[in-house]
Amino acid sequence: MMRRISVGILSLALLAALSWAVLSLPAQPKGLTEASLARLPESGVSNPVTAVLLNYRGYDTLLEVGVLLLAIVGVWSLRRGEWPAADRRDRPLLLSLLRVVLPVLVLAAGYLLWIGAFAPGGAFQGGALLGGALVLVMLGGLARRLVNRAGLLRAGLGLGVLVFATVCAITLRLTGGLLQYPPGTGGTWIMVIESAALISIGLTLGLLYLGGRPEEDT
Amino acid sequence: MTAAWAIALLILSPLAAAALVFAFPRCGRWLALGTVAVVGGASVQLTWKVLTDGVQIHRVGGWGPPLGIDLRADGLSVLMLLITALIGLAVSLYAQRYFAAHESERPLPVNPDVAASRLSAAILDKDSVRRSAETPLRFKSPTRELVRGDRNPALHRERYFWPLFLFLWTALNALFLSADIFNLYVTLELLGFAAVTLVALAGKRAALTAALRYLFVSLTASLFYLLGVGLVYGQCATVDLASLAAKAQPGPALWVALALMTGGLIAKAALFPLHFWLPPAHANAPAPVSALLSALVVKGSFYILLRLWIEAFPALMTPPVAQLFGLLGAAAILWGSVNALVQSRLKLLIAYSTVAQLGYLFLLFPLAATPEGGFTAWSGGLIFLGAHACAKTAMFLTAGNILHAAGHDRIQDLDGMTHVLPVSVFAFGLAGMSLIGLPPSSGFAGKWLLLNAALAQGQWWWVAVMLLGSLLAAAYVARVLAHAFTRVEEPRKPHPIAPVMEWTALALALLAVGLGFASHGLAELLRVGAPVAGAMLLGGAAP
Repeated sequence: MMRRISVGILSLALLAALSWAVLSLPAQPKGLTEASLARLPESGVSNPVTAVLLNYRGYDTLLEVGVLLLAIVGVWSLRRGEWPAADRRDRPLLLSLLRVVLPVLVLAAGYLLWIGAFAPGGAFQGGALLGGALVLVMLGGLARRLVNRAGLLRAGLGLGVLVFATVCAITLRLTGGLLQYPPGTGGTWIMVIESAALISIGLTLGLLYLGGRPEEDT
Repeated sequence: MTAAWAIALLILSPLAAAALVFAFPRCGRWLALGTVAVVGGASVQLTWKVLTDGVQIHRVGGWGPPLGIDLRADGLSVLMLLITALIGLAVSLYAQRYFAAHESERPLPVNPDVAASRLSAAILDKDSVRRSAETPLRFKSPTRELVRGDRNPALHRERYFWPLFLFLWTALNALFLSADIFNLYVTLELLGFAAVTLVALAGKRAALTAALRYLFVSLTASLFYLLGVGLVYGQCATVDLASLAAKAQPGPALWVALALMTGGLIAKAALFPLHFWLPPAHANAPAPVSALLSALVVKGSFYILLRLWIEAFPALMTPPVAQLFGLLGAAAILWGSVNALVQSRLKLLIAYSTVAQLGYLFLLFPLAATPEGGFTAWSGGLIFLGAHACAKTAMFLTAGNILHAAGHDRIQDLDGMTHVLPVSVFAFGLAGMSLIGLPPSSGFAGKWLLLNAALAQGQWWWVAVMLLGSLLAAAYVARVLAHAFTRVEEPRKPHPIAPVMEWTALALALLAVGLGFASHGLAELLRVGAPVAGAMLLGGAAP
């Protein structure tokens, strides 16, 4: 009881402090919206979110892609995964649904990747769709052999980080700046990074569902 | 190699190596050694550039603040990078043999806890077999998985150690180079997850419990930090460390923001009273991991605190705030030391000693905030940090050796250890010398500078705390050595141990002592881009 009361008091104090702080913030936030929109043409994409994620603050995203890989390495280090019992005869509905949904999901993931340059979308959104598709595949008990190919999966999971790091090194070589794309080529480089990231993100999200490493893995 | 390449390699090479090691697990040892070479070379190169040309700034993407992120290397950054590279080198060598050495580990005695969970797992499993007819989606009970372990746990641990270690290294290098408070949050995320997973790698129940608690603390602390970053951005419209000082107007938003960020960071840095997660996490992790956590990981958060309070928001660093930091530091010194003194297990003793030694670092805030003797305290505190990193790594590696050779780390039963592991015990003694602060060790050099600064500023109360802390450190180090040096008639037959595991510990202990002779050079390095000014006060005798 004492504990609950003290937790309550602490939370109220936090709430009061935060409200005090937020109310004191300028009513018209200065922010960086104008600055980022003004330099959007230089970034190589026309979607400001993609410009922030992969150009202005692309370095943050490099580390974030690293965090995603680290997440799956961490989960795999803890325990072996549990394969949902695969009995196809049990789930005729799921299987016939998959026949329709899977191609659409993959297509949609690719579309989201491409549209990211102009409108909301990109590797993270596309990767989420791919991850969902992978979960459905596993629930249907399909492709079990493929999903247990640990070597292949490891390469696919590491791909995003490796391609991103390589692009960093190439741009440094070309322009003398990390992730400083040569003028006019920003869009292409961003697409290269995002395509690799799409695969890794999709695999990461899908495989996290297993809750551990595949059976074949040491 | 230009400074830009050095900065890039410091971050890209461990990151790429982490991904490669994960993709090709068999190459772990070699890729780690290659990374050591590349990162070591890049750190030395960058240090040279900073010494000759001053502060190095790299604008990622060529944008520059406020839109882009700056990577910045000054004296403080490169000192931290050098320490990280040294510890990284030692741990990479040690871990080459550490995991393989545990391959022949005797099975642990089954304690009632494990037996009970086995029983419950068996019952659960029977139930699930009966249920499986109706429910096709069957998951095995997680308890059983943990208890059953793997076919080859040593190989498994080593395979996962390398990528996690390389991620940890990436995070540290990125953290020490970042000049952007949001980017620092990303590095903290990477650092925290890598550290937690490395603790869990030990696989024992106690380690998993400690890791989970560490995860909760680390995540909550990160969120507090992020909340603070959001408020700072709302107020100042930038997240660039260098431009914040000019834009910061003390007001409710910044006070609350800094309070949140500081709260999060002191929890991550395990400053008293938020140190509770540290002893179990550091004591239950595998030895090379304990070394990394104590020597480097907690210091990452301390480093951000320094950058925030002394560089970005000096306007908010009022005397009461500075004294509060000092007060918490003093409490940490006393509380940690007293607890170290009463521990019965060696690794816990070393972990509590970390709690105490971290306290000294926080004395830097009240001492460096005053112009008189500010730089003396600044360099003293940071030399102390380097000294502690080397000494603590040496101690944890030694503890790993003892644990392996003797099969336990009960301090009471360490008698005769000098017969068994003479090199390791010698390393422990040397490292202890630096922890206590005996001349000519680097621990002494750091403490001496801090003491001089405190005396010059008339803040005598910190002098009393530091001296008392040294006395307590002498007591807990002597307690271990007294047991280790006790003669026994028949020395027990130890498990054989790879020589490299003993010599890496000794090399670091020697470094902890020897760095004391280099403290003048380190102070020169720290002068580059230092946010505090002032002459070096050496008092009566130079260290």
